[in-house]
This record gives sequence, structure tokens and C-alpha cells, in this order.
Amino acid sequence: MKNFILKRLLLSILVLFGVILITFIITRAIPSDPAAQWAGPRATAEQIKAARVELGLDKPLYVQFGKYIQNLLKGNLGYSLKTHQPVATELKACVPATVELVLISTIAAVFIGLPLGLISAKRKDQWVDHLSRFFSVGAVSLPTFWVGIFLQLLFYSWLRLLPMGDQLSMNVRLMYEIPKITGFITLDSLITGNMVVFKDALLHLILPGITIALYPIGLVARMTRSALLEILNEDYIRAARAYGLPERIVLWLYALKNSLGPTVTVVTLSIGYTLVNTFLVESIFSWPGIGNYVATAVVSLDYPAILGVTIFSAIAYVVLNLIADIIIALDPRVRI
Amino acid sequence: MRKFIKAKSWSMLVIVSLVLSLIVSGCGGGASNNNGSNGAKQVFFFAWTSTPFTDLDPSVENSNGIVPLNNMYETLLRFIPEEKKFVPILATDYSKSKDGLSWTFHIRKGVKFHDGTDLNAEAVKFSFERTKKLGKGAAYILDPIKEIKVVDDYTVEFKLSYPAPLDLIVASPYAAFIMSPTAVKSNPEDWFTQGHEAGTGPYKLESFVLGQEIVLTKFDEYWGGWEGKHFDKVVIKKISEPTARRQMLESGELDFTQDLPYEDIEALKKNSNLVVDISPSYENLIMLLNTDKKPLDNVLVRQAISYAFPYEDVVKYAAGGYATQSKGPIPSGMWGHGDNLFQYKHDLDKAKELLKQAGYPNGGLKLLLVYTSGDEAEKKTAELFKSELAKINVDLEIRGMPWESQWEMAKDKDPNKRQDIFVFYWWPDLTSPYSFLYPMFHSQKDILFNLAYWENPEFDKLVDKGAEQSATDLKKAEEMFIKAQEILVKEAPAIFAYDKQYIRVYNKSIKGYKSNPAYPNVIFVHEIYREN
Repeated sequence: MKNFILKRLLLSILVLFGVILITFIITRAIPSDPAAQWAGPRATAEQIKAARVELGLDKPLYVQFGKYIQNLLKGNLGYSLKTHQPVATELKACVPATVELVLISTIAAVFIGLPLGLISAKRKDQWVDHLSRFFSVGAVSLPTFWVGIFLQLLFYSWLRLLPMGDQLSMNVRLMYEIPKITGFITLDSLITGNMVVFKDALLHLILPGITIALYPIGLVARMTRSALLEILNEDYIRAARAYGLPERIVLWLYALKNSLGPTVTVVTLSIGYTLVNTFLVESIFSWPGIGNYVATAVVSLDYPAILGVTIFSAIAYVVLNLIADIIIALDPRVRI
Repeated sequence: MRKFIKAKSWSMLVIVSLVLSLIVSGCGGGASNNNGSNGAKQVFFFAWTSTPFTDLDPSVENSNGIVPLNNMYETLLRFIPEEKKFVPILATDYSKSKDGLSWTFHIRKGVKFHDGTDLNAEAVKFSFERTKKLGKGAAYILDPIKEIKVVDDYTVEFKLSYPAPLDLIVASPYAAFIMSPTAVKSNPEDWFTQGHEAGTGPYKLESFVLGQEIVLTKFDEYWGGWEGKHFDKVVIKKISEPTARRQMLESGELDFTQDLPYEDIEALKKNSNLVVDISPSYENLIMLLNTDKKPLDNVLVRQAISYAFPYEDVVKYAAGGYATQSKGPIPSGMWGHGDNLFQYKHDLDKAKELLKQAGYPNGGLKLLLVYTSGDEAEKKTAELFKSELAKINVDLEIRGMPWESQWEMAKDKDPNKRQDIFVFYWWPDLTSPYSFLYPMFHSQKDILFNLAYWENPEFDKLVDKGAEQSATDLKKAEEMFIKAQEILVKEAPAIFAYDKQYIRVYNKSIKGYKSNPAYPNVIFVHEIYREN
């Protein structure tokens, strides 16, 4: 087991290095002049020349890459070409918002998707099953941007029930001290007992949360259903039923537990997908997370910012993959 | 089994109560209006598609940040273009020498910076010198200033190295802000960029989220006073999704926005709670033709494609009807605009004939047009142009590129690798025709914005002279600038597509707003109020 984890860890580092190298080369291969960007839209030739030296862009590419890696190890991701602020600082400011969204939708995926799949499997080919399958297929296939805009129209413009976007409403932001402990607004306001902020933050989470959660919910529901159906035909389930154990116990204790393996893998991997999906959703809901951040960076070819987000996403992906691998490895039936 | 049932009912309870609490609380909160719920505080909420600022340094910023900066800082004068008049702000009055080389400004007394420092002549001198020394952003507008002298506590004298309209320069929306010397001297150089300010304006910086929003709050000791109705706070926010901004405007949550799709404007005009304000801008769409390379080095070809351009269709379909065909590069409404200037009309027969004269009787030309990807109006313009050019057998390749890449191509060392047609918007840094004619068309040793690569000594002379004249005699200067434009239109180094109009949509309760195109997108919030 130890060897397995070690091997995986080394492999992950290799993957990360590859990602950084490729992204670095791609962002440099795009015809654009970072020095001109740094200097601003109406800079003179001298200003651009000075910026080139300031940014070290006058050095050969491999020297620049070496310098970048060296800085990276110190936690320095360089400076944004647009804002002239450290990328690490900017990322630190917007990562919690994204993580909050990803977490809430993952929790929803488990707590809604799992029971849905379970009911579906239990009542196979009955109307509940059809309905649940209809829902999960829809959830997986509806385009995110459509769902987001539709939910805004429905709950904000027509029903006037939920806020349009952002993490807090303007009034709350202006009138209350927004606690900053962990950076997660919901958590921080809960810790400090600021219920007005907490309630407001929670309300703001609903629409983007649902929009993002739909896909993993559908995925988990379908996965659970098919895994359960397979297991429900196994001999030991038949044996359990023959012993006269109540169906609930059979289903929850014997069947579900044994079908969890693939579901857990799917959930872990779908977090990676969700992270990327937030990029679009954050744009729709003006959510101040990394998706919103990178969207601006991409349009303006702000390569240090793009690299920063890529590295963050790559690390998240690699770590999640690692966790998924380890979870599978923990199953005694799987031989490593 | 008991344990199991307990667990199940417990989780059911949690789920049900969660759902219920969400529904119940949802009914109470949600889409709240900022009018009533925050008591006495009057908040002005402005959202648009761009980031609220790129740099908070008043000497450096020459982008969106001028919107908040013009509410935190002030300039000596403010220009009112329709009346060609200057309003005194931090200067009470000014005079200039006959040759336009020496300007004296009397500084307003009793003005305080946000850090408590008093405004005086020394502070004015310090501010301009700092901006000039840093040399970033739009600092080049201060190039004519040779020396700044403090005559007494409240009088400052500017010596210029060549005649220039200093009143226009000190009224510029960029690079002309007055800042507290105490704050600058007692802090590190990047203090402003790190998120601080020290102006004299009606609002101070309260908070900001980089790239997302900025909140300003009223400065109690503002010299202009707070009698009457004013907003206490200003929120400027980036909300990139136009659908979101439209819905927030309709619900009354948002006060003011712009850059909505043309399709939405028609619908919003019918909403009696909103005002759709359409006003001229100093921004226009210009297509610079590469005069350095075949076939556009031939003036006849340039004139031909100027005739092939579908002006009316572009105004109607690309600009949604919210524009007017340009007459030369100076937008209508600005001084120096030539009302009697020649204007090309869409005329394919004429275009064909000119091509024939140029030695292309059957067309057969290939041209490359580059525009900034993501800009719908530019894209539609290019497509409409392409279909017209096809009719005279000219093949136009359209390439949407990020601005930076477009820029790179235009500066390629090999002229043959550059584009034939470069599409972009232009707006002035300084409300002067010079700010159009010089950067885009004056010959330049190192090409910056003259992306037509055009050179004409006679034109250069007229523009240089016009600039000098504008220091002392705007009328004479205007004549020269118009003469220069006559050459421009004849030589056709560019197609002047259209002058844009601003479309602002705001809540009916907002009163006192008037667009000033000399300060693009700036809302002087102290001048507006809410009438409930």
C-alpha cells in the first residue's frame, strides 16, 4: 500500500511538471507581447521596452521557465499583467468562493443522487424509476449555461425568490462587517454567529449550487442505480432475503455498501469536472471565484494568471485522482 | 434495526427541515431593492461589463478606473464640450500668455484631501510632476509642460516648451488628477496600486474586490458640500452577463448600466420604470488601411473600397442603429468636426470604376481584415463589408484575434506579414482633434497607432500647427484641423465607419444625470440623486 501511494505521488508530480511545462509553452507560443500588455494599451515603445526588462522577458525562454519554476517553489506565481498584483494573492482571494460552490454541489450530489439511484433501483421499472431516470438523464444532458440562465429568470425575475448572483447582496455587504477567518463566507459567518450574513450567503449559494450540482447528481444517481441492480442479483442478496431480513437492511446495509466503490470514484472524479464547470457558472452568476478570474485572464492573454489557475486546477485534479485511487485500493477485493 | 430506523428518520428530518428553511427564508430575502431596506443610506449601484479599475494609481490609470477615480479625485478644470466651456473645479480661474507658453492657475482655498492635508499650489505642482515623472498611462499628455512654478500658496504657473491647450490638458479625465503630497511622500511607491487613495473628490475609497467591485463612501469634508440630495455610497461592479444586468435593472436592484445588447434596448424602452439615455460619444469605429503594402498603397484602390463599404447597413445592423456614419475621424459634436467634409457613400459602380483606373478591371484582389475577437459589432461590420467587396470581386479574409495578437501583427517587422485592414475603436485622451489626428495619422518614427502606416508631410504640418494654435485660438486651430481632414478623406488611409452612441439604461428615480463624452463612461455621482 505504501509503495502504491508513493508511486502514485511521484507520478503526480511528474504530471504536474508536464502540465506546467506545456501551459508555459502554449501561453508563450500565442502571438502576444506580455510586455506591451504590462505597459498598458497606449504605451510608447520605450515604456514597452522598459517593461520587457522589468519582467525578464528579454532573457531566453528556458531561463524564464527556470525562473518561473524557482519562484513557483517559493509560492510565487508571478504578477498579473493586467492588475500588476501577485497572482498568488489574487488566487487566494477567489479560491474560497469556488471551493464553496464545488463543495456544496458535491454534497448535494451525494445526498440527492444517492437516494435517487437507490429508489430507482429498488422500484425498477415502476413510475418512480422512470421519473428518476428521466431526471438524471436530463440533469446530465442539459447545458449548464441554459440551466443557469433559466433558473435566474425563474427564481429572480419571475418569482422574486432568490438573488441573481454574487455571494452576498449589496445591502448586506455594505451594512455588515463580513467576517474573514477562513475566507469561506458561509463558514465564517456561522463561526462568528452573524446569521444575517449567513442566511444571505446561503441564499446566494442556491442557484449556482443547483446549476453545478445537476450534473454530478445525475451521474451519481445513474451510477448508484446500475451498481445496485447488478448487486441485487447476487447470490448473497438472495441469501439475505431468504433469511427473512427486512428489505431495508438488505438494501442499505448489504447492497448499497457493496455498490459504493464505483460511486465514490465517480463522486471524486466529478469534483474535478465540477471545478471546470464552475468556470462557466461563475460567469453567469457573477460569482467571484477562479472561474470568473480566469475568464478575464484568458480574454486579455494574461499569461501569469492563466498559468496560476492551470496549476491550481491541475493540483486539484491530481490530488482528487490520487484520493480516488487510494479509496479503490482500500477495497480488499481490489488487488494492487 | 432500531438504530437503522433512527438514522433514517433523523436524516429525513434534516432534509425536510433544510428544504423548508430554504423555502421559508427564500421568501423573505432574495431580490431586495436597495431603496428602502438600508435605511437612511443612499446607495448608487452601477454595474457594467468591465472590471471596475485596472490600477488605482491616479497617475497611471487610463482605463475603466477613471470612473471611480473621477469620483475620488478632481482636476483643476472640467470641460463641457457642448458649450466649449471650462467649469472651475480645483482652480477658481486661470489666465494664459499671448503666445500660449505660460499659464497661471488660481487654486481653490479651503479644500481638503481625504487624508486631511490642505490643497495648495505645492500639491498641484507635486501631482503633475509625479505623473509626468512616472511617465505611465496617459502621462504623455503632459509632455508640453516644461516647468511648474509655485507663485504663492494658491497660485501656480505652468511654463510650456511649446504652445498647447493646457486648459484642455488639466481637464483631461486621465493623468490630470491632483493628489495629496503628504500621502504619497509618507508611503511606498505602490501605495495607490495596493488599494489606497488620497484625493479631494466627494467620495473616498471604502473597499474593493480586485477585478470585481469597488465601493466608495462620502467624504464628509468635501468642499462642494452635502446640502441637498446626494448619494452616500457608490458601488461600481463588474457583472459581465448582460442578461443578469438587465434583470437586475428591471427588478430595481441595479440603478445604472450600459453595454446591453441592442436587442434588449428596444424592450427596455417600453419599461416605464427605466430611462434609456442615448447620447453621442467621442468614440468611433475606424478601419485603418495599410498604405505601406500592395494593393492598398494605391490611393485609387483605397478610395474604391471606401465606396464599397456599406455605411448604412453597418450602422443599422452592426451598431443596431445606435450610431451615425462618420464624417472624417473627428466625431460629430466635438470641436474640430468638419460638417462640410466629404463623406463616402456606398456606391459599387464608382468602386468598380476606381478599381479599373487603378489597373484592376476585374477586381481579383485579396485583403486581410483583422478585428478584436469577441466584438460583435466589429465582426458584423467585417461580414457586411466582405459581402459587398465580393460583389466587385475583392476577396476579404476576416480574422478575429485577441487585441494583443492583432497588435503584434500590426507591428510585425516584415511589412508583408501585416494586415491590410485594421479595425478598432478610437477615443481621445484629450478633448481635442489632435488626440485623433496625431496618434492615428501623423507620421511616426516608431509606429504606435498609425497602423495605416501613412505619411503625408502636408497633413503633418497642418496637425502640428493646429495643435500650437489650439493653445491660443481654438477657432483658428479648428480650421487647420479641418483642412488636415480634407487631405485625409481624399487620401483615404482609413474608412471612417461610424460614430458610436452611448446607450445608458437607468432607474427612473435617478435624477440629474447628464452624459459628458469628454469623460467617457464617468458618472459624477455627487451631481446625481435619487428622487423617491
